[in-house]
Amino acid sequence: MLRTAFACAVLLLGAGLGAGWLTHGFQVWTAEGARRLEVLQRPIDVPAVPVQGPGVAARDLHDLLAGGQQVTIVDFIYTHCESLCLSLGNTYQQMQAALQATGKDTGVRLLSVSFDPQRDTVEQLLSHAKRMKADPAVWRFVRVPGEPELQRVLDRFQVVIVPDGRGDFQHNAALLVVDAQGRLVRIFDIAEQQLALDYARHLAAGGEL
Amino acid sequence: MVIALALLAFTPLRRWMEASMSLHMLVQFPLVVLGGYLLAGELGPRATARLQRWNAHGLTGLLAVALLLALLMIPRWLDLAWVDLRFEIAKWLALLATGGALRLSWSRAGLLGQVFFLGNTLPMTVMAGYLFIESPLRLCNAYLLDDQVTVGKGLIVACALTAITWLIQAGRLLSRQAAPKRQLQ
Repeated sequence: MLRTAFACAVLLLGAGLGAGWLTHGFQVWTAEGARRLEVLQRPIDVPAVPVQGPGVAARDLHDLLAGGQQVTIVDFIYTHCESLCLSLGNTYQQMQAALQATGKDTGVRLLSVSFDPQRDTVEQLLSHAKRMKADPAVWRFVRVPGEPELQRVLDRFQVVIVPDGRGDFQHNAALLVVDAQGRLVRIFDIAEQQLALDYARHLAAGGEL
Repeated sequence: MVIALALLAFTPLRRWMEASMSLHMLVQFPLVVLGGYLLAGELGPRATARLQRWNAHGLTGLLAVALLLALLMIPRWLDLAWVDLRFEIAKWLALLATGGALRLSWSRAGLLGQVFFLGNTLPMTVMAGYLFIESPLRLCNAYLLDDQVTVGKGLIVACALTAITWLIQAGRLLSRQAAPKRQLQ
């Protein structure tokens, strides 16, 4: 009986430690929660993968985002999407309007990265941008042409894309705030657009992380 | 049986099953647990006796099962198992251990121990299933939302079936115990 009590105590301790580790101290239960917490604790460098987009001269994603001047709110999209991405597009339109309404350069930019390079050609991105009435000075679109490079970005940012078998994808859509040094510093929910915008403005104005 | 487990673990069958949340949790999980259950039957009487010294009344085993099932219900583990082989291996070992512990502990626990165990794990699992159904968000980045609802329903059905099966079995056992007494009267 003593042995059993000992074994049970060890089991309880082990399970407690395991669960504590898995949930970052019982704060998060999902991989998405863990991703957001980890970024908060340690910023992630944007990888230098080649990108293309209408009106985008930058050679790679890191150069595009790490200009030292601008804070960027990044999202991952595919233009054929008709569910979540529509609301993401809506969110981006509202954020663009909010940025334009200030009348001066807030130092905050928007960037939509397509994870569907096969269908999202540069021309397709351009017509999508027009449809969304994107102002190229504020909101730009890029695609990552190379499959392994795209996977590198997705892995680095822990973006998980699940094809639903009907030509659509489900993905953990979110607003990713990248600071002027090209580091992903914070992840917000789509519903938290005001928070993301305020935080990006705060960073762009030289505020602390 | 070892061959069946190896087929499940080392062929494309594994990734195929894991690509869907319901096949993963409602088919692969129970199959691996069953594998662990059968494997434990292959243990020699000596090894069994040695293990059972640490398992008075099946207490250790059933506690292990309850804890492992609770850990496996944490959605993050499922996502990690899909992308990281170390968590995948840990998951398989946990499921095998769950099956083995059940085999070595179930009858030793007696009806009282079983009631206590089921009284804890079944409501916990039903709760998890309910959360899977009700959550407007995907709990696992790797899985589709409608699949999550299927798993939630599946978990609840599995709990109900377990409870019914246990009740029937317990009822039989009790009536068998009561029968000789009646004959004496």
